[in-house]
Amino acid sequence: MAKFKLFRSFFGKLFGKKRSRVGIYGPPNAGKTTLANRIVRDATGEAIGPVSEIPHETRRARRKEGLEVSSGGSKMMIDIVDTPGVTTKIDYHEFLEYGMDQDEAVARAREATEGVAEAMHWLREDIDGVIYVLDSTQDPFMHVNIMMVGIIESRKLPVIIVANKIDLPDASPQRIKSAFPQHPVVEISGLEGNNMDALYAKMEEVFR
Amino acid sequence: MPHKCTKCGREFRDGSVEILRGCPSCGGKKFLYVSDRVRNEDVIEEKPIEKIAEETKQEVLEVKREGPADRPTDILERVESVRIVSKGKYELNLERLAETQDIIIGMGDDGKYMLDLPSMSRKKQKPKKK
Repeated sequence: MAKFKLFRSFFGKLFGKKRSRVGIYGPPNAGKTTLANRIVRDATGEAIGPVSEIPHETRRARRKEGLEVSSGGSKMMIDIVDTPGVTTKIDYHEFLEYGMDQDEAVARAREATEGVAEAMHWLREDIDGVIYVLDSTQDPFMHVNIMMVGIIESRKLPVIIVANKIDLPDASPQRIKSAFPQHPVVEISGLEGNNMDALYAKMEEVFR
Repeated sequence: MPHKCTKCGREFRDGSVEILRGCPSCGGKKFLYVSDRVRNEDVIEEKPIEKIAEETKQEVLEVKREGPADRPTDILERVESVRIVSKGKYELNLERLAETQDIIIGMGDDGKYMLDLPSMSRKKQKPKKK
């Protein structure tokens, strides 16, 4: 791993490009995978993983490397890491409501727990910048959001807060802006692809 | 996140998650984000924090308790990284998971712990250069 990093940084220097590894974090069902799919699709035409309305669909961090993100005339290379929804409590009963049987729900809870632990480890060692995704129709003042933004700040990682799902009628991105005035907030719809250019421009500014 | 307690004016440094427990000085639950420009106005100009909130039009952050409050130890003070409450039910200590690679698993509610010794004997990672 160390050798690989050295190799990467050597070629990075040689070609004058630094590749940032950007982690997409946020609570469950905020639209992280939809956003990651959008970014990957814009760059390569592919997708990163499946989405669903059942919380914790993404239970393992998924990575896509060497994406070229362009805004205006300039380009930057990034690696995108899509992470499981971060939460402090996982209970299999939540999944039973979606028609899963007990064994399946218990297994999903276990995998989701492992996934969150893994995502937090990534935050400690492998991430250069964070896109923190929030659902604009939900209350941003949730305990887990305040805690996560605090953790990201204390690790001195650059962060962009994304107010997602602005296509929904009861979206209130302004609430997110007033909850986190210390960080840049970009309003988007990952599903419809609205305002993605503004996000790419902000990524260039913050993560480069 | 420089925040000030709206009750007693105590300031909390960037990235402090202490405020989630409420203000340690006065127990206040409401905090205002203060930018550098207005950071010392409450002391220098003797303004109440509410006045600064009005002027800067920042929303006051109210910390609410989540989940069962009857648990003996606050989640922020716990030693374990993950607690297995029962089959398929977990509680995660995000702060600890982000801080250390040592894995301590709490079992149930009665002070039982499992320690993953290999995770503790691994060499410490060098801090990332910034």
